[in-house]
Amino acid sequence: MKKYLDSIKHSRTIYSFVGLMIMVVISSLTVNKFMTFDNVITIFRQASTLFILSAGLTATILMAEIDLSVGAASGFIGCVSAQFLKADLPVPMVFLLGMALGALVGMLNGFLVGTVKMPSFIATYGVSWVLAGLSVIVMNGAVIFGLPEGFTWFGTGYVGPIPVIVIIACIIVALVYFLLHRTTFGRDIYSFGFNPDAALYSAVPVNRTLYAAFILSGITAGIGGLLMMARLNAADATMGDAYGMQTIAAVVIGGTSLLGGEGGIVGTIIGALLLTIVVNVMNLLGISSFAQPMVVGLLILAVVMFDTYTRAMQEKLIE
Amino acid sequence: MDETILRVHSITKRFPGVKALDNIDFDLKRGEVHILVGENGAGKSTLAKVILGAYVPDEGEIFFEGQKVAFKTTRDALEKGIAAVYQEFTLFPYLNVAQNIFFNREPRNKLGIIDHRKMERDAAELLRSLNCEYIDVRAYVKKLSVAEQQMVEIAKALSYSPRIMVFDEPTATLSEREVESLFERIHKLKAAGIGIIYVSHRMQEFKFIGDRITVLRDGKKIGTVGINEVSDKEIVKMMVGRDISQVFHRSANVFSGEVLKTETLSDRAGRVKEASIVLNKGEIVGLAGLVGAGRTELAKLIFGVDPIGGGKVYIHGREVNVTSPVHMVKCGVGMVCEDRKRLGLAVNDSVAWNIMAVSLKKYFPRFIIYYNKAYDIVEKYKTQLRIATPDVLRKCKFLSGGNQQKVVLAKWLSMDTDILIFDEPTRGIDVGAKIEIYGLMDKLASEGKSILMISSELPEIIGMSDRIYVIREGRIVGECKRAEFSTDDIASQMLGIVGDAHAS
Repeated sequence: MKKYLDSIKHSRTIYSFVGLMIMVVISSLTVNKFMTFDNVITIFRQASTLFILSAGLTATILMAEIDLSVGAASGFIGCVSAQFLKADLPVPMVFLLGMALGALVGMLNGFLVGTVKMPSFIATYGVSWVLAGLSVIVMNGAVIFGLPEGFTWFGTGYVGPIPVIVIIACIIVALVYFLLHRTTFGRDIYSFGFNPDAALYSAVPVNRTLYAAFILSGITAGIGGLLMMARLNAADATMGDAYGMQTIAAVVIGGTSLLGGEGGIVGTIIGALLLTIVVNVMNLLGISSFAQPMVVGLLILAVVMFDTYTRAMQEKLIE
Repeated sequence: MDETILRVHSITKRFPGVKALDNIDFDLKRGEVHILVGENGAGKSTLAKVILGAYVPDEGEIFFEGQKVAFKTTRDALEKGIAAVYQEFTLFPYLNVAQNIFFNREPRNKLGIIDHRKMERDAAELLRSLNCEYIDVRAYVKKLSVAEQQMVEIAKALSYSPRIMVFDEPTATLSEREVESLFERIHKLKAAGIGIIYVSHRMQEFKFIGDRITVLRDGKKIGTVGINEVSDKEIVKMMVGRDISQVFHRSANVFSGEVLKTETLSDRAGRVKEASIVLNKGEIVGLAGLVGAGRTELAKLIFGVDPIGGGKVYIHGREVNVTSPVHMVKCGVGMVCEDRKRLGLAVNDSVAWNIMAVSLKKYFPRFIIYYNKAYDIVEKYKTQLRIATPDVLRKCKFLSGGNQQKVVLAKWLSMDTDILIFDEPTRGIDVGAKIEIYGLMDKLASEGKSILMISSELPEIIGMSDRIYVIREGRIVGECKRAEFSTDDIASQMLGIVGDAHAS
């Protein structure tokens, strides 16, 4: 019975899962080194930052809002944390400060969208520019190398054969999964996403939920930024830029609807894996990295097209 | 004046799975207002559309001025002189009034260029004939009020010099004052010899404008009667197919103690003015009024959706600071909205989660949801309200209107609030589901819940209420107890017509 009520959130995700499976099968048949243990670990390690960053973003997209500042926020928090480390602050403190900073960014987004009533697309886009600019100022145009080993362990260390960063990513994903699917807060997000007006009339604390979703997105951006920096063993003002669009791509490819309500974190993980595998396979095949954005773009278009088509078919079938 | 201009003979129209019209006869005389009435889905709009040429009937004949006609499109009907004013407007918001009235048949000069001056003159002429010279023919339709748009719509219909005009639920979107002026116009059109078919399901309007009334039910004609030959009760009986006492059942109740009181409550937009009402424990109080009279607005104030402009709200005798629905639900107030699909439900979400939407935090105060328990709660209300769905995870949009409404009710029953506001609780649902909902309301009241029911359907409000408030232009203009109920009194209070002026 439990699975019964639970299964609702996976309804659209099944297509993404099938897509991932097809991708895996084709890759392991055609690409030599794909199905080796080392390569699978590499894929997960490469995907882990994307897992973390898009986990929080899933919550905002489920509310039919969007957070375009995820990439810039992660870069900014990475840069500030690098300065903290340079100033010899203890590592746990740096982590806490980074997460707090992420929460602050989320609060700002929540304020602009929930209280000022700006469209989230514009508000978070503006915030992302401000944060990108702040990163340059914080770094003063330079790149910071050589971070303390106690910190870089989180990005490059191993527990047995498993990279630490993968373990952390899994923990965060599990936490967000729990929040979204096992708590009343998660249900409020879905209610709002399906119909904000009905949510208001159903006594859902709409503004509080909106703030919380953006704060969640900010916190995961913060953690993502910290780990990104730990993995690179360096901080650079532009390091988060690539993730702005990739995170949204992961969520959308995973079957979460930009119209809100439908989808969930499981889909996002599948989407992030799909994206990473595409890039991984292209690397293994020696395809120029110049072609990669184009392939990712085609993938997004194909997924959305398929989604639109199956949705129409489904409605027809039920009528 | 007493000649038949339209005769419809044994019309049958089938849609996949249903016989929407079954062997219907209908006729219309010159200068007559013939009301077409029935429950939702009874076939009244279908019949109107057959007459207008929007549907081609499967069987039967239509005679217009004695000649047999077979319309294939609305254009065919229009050319013969049968024009329609629809419930939803068909005007272009960014064209001006004159352009809308003469859309696609603009007067042209010798060079084939549109003669704007003539077009505007003709449009102004038409509006003058409707006493609407205050409408600027050059104004964009978007800028007009709903009532003015309706007048433009009527002017457009009149520009075809029709012999017959069909009004399809024209008052659904109008405020009371606008309804009055619409009725005035209809009387004028009638005097000019135009035959009028008026589709509606609002009892209180019939006596003001109707001459004859034809009742449809489940696609069949139940009968045609002169408006003065029948009582409201008989009309309802014809519509519903059973005696009114079988539809509305109220147990005798003893009321104890005030649970909700408003004192000179006003909003900020001026749509609710100093409304004072009282709701007792175990009581069903009706709030009667036309659309736009401020009934829903009053409910939204009490429920904390709209900000309060002045006045006080007391619950169980204690003054409440009305801030938000979240707070009001904590105080024990629930609200079933009028607009089910937009405000009542998340139609793309499942039955289960819609039922749990409000009460989730009550059952799971510690943040964590246990699915087994949630499922049991959902199943309990599904069984109790007999919600027909093969699967509680089915999306609400695939349910019938009646079942959707039951989901909304289940949502509030599971919250178990002491006070329930029902805004048009039976709109758009079939008779069977209606009777179930009335039964539920009666049961709730005898269990000590208090219900404030908003409705524009008089039979419903008279049948179910222990007491009725009448609201007009944002003010409470009347109050009466069950023993004193009279359809005519309440209707005239709703419309703001004093004494026996409505007897015409």
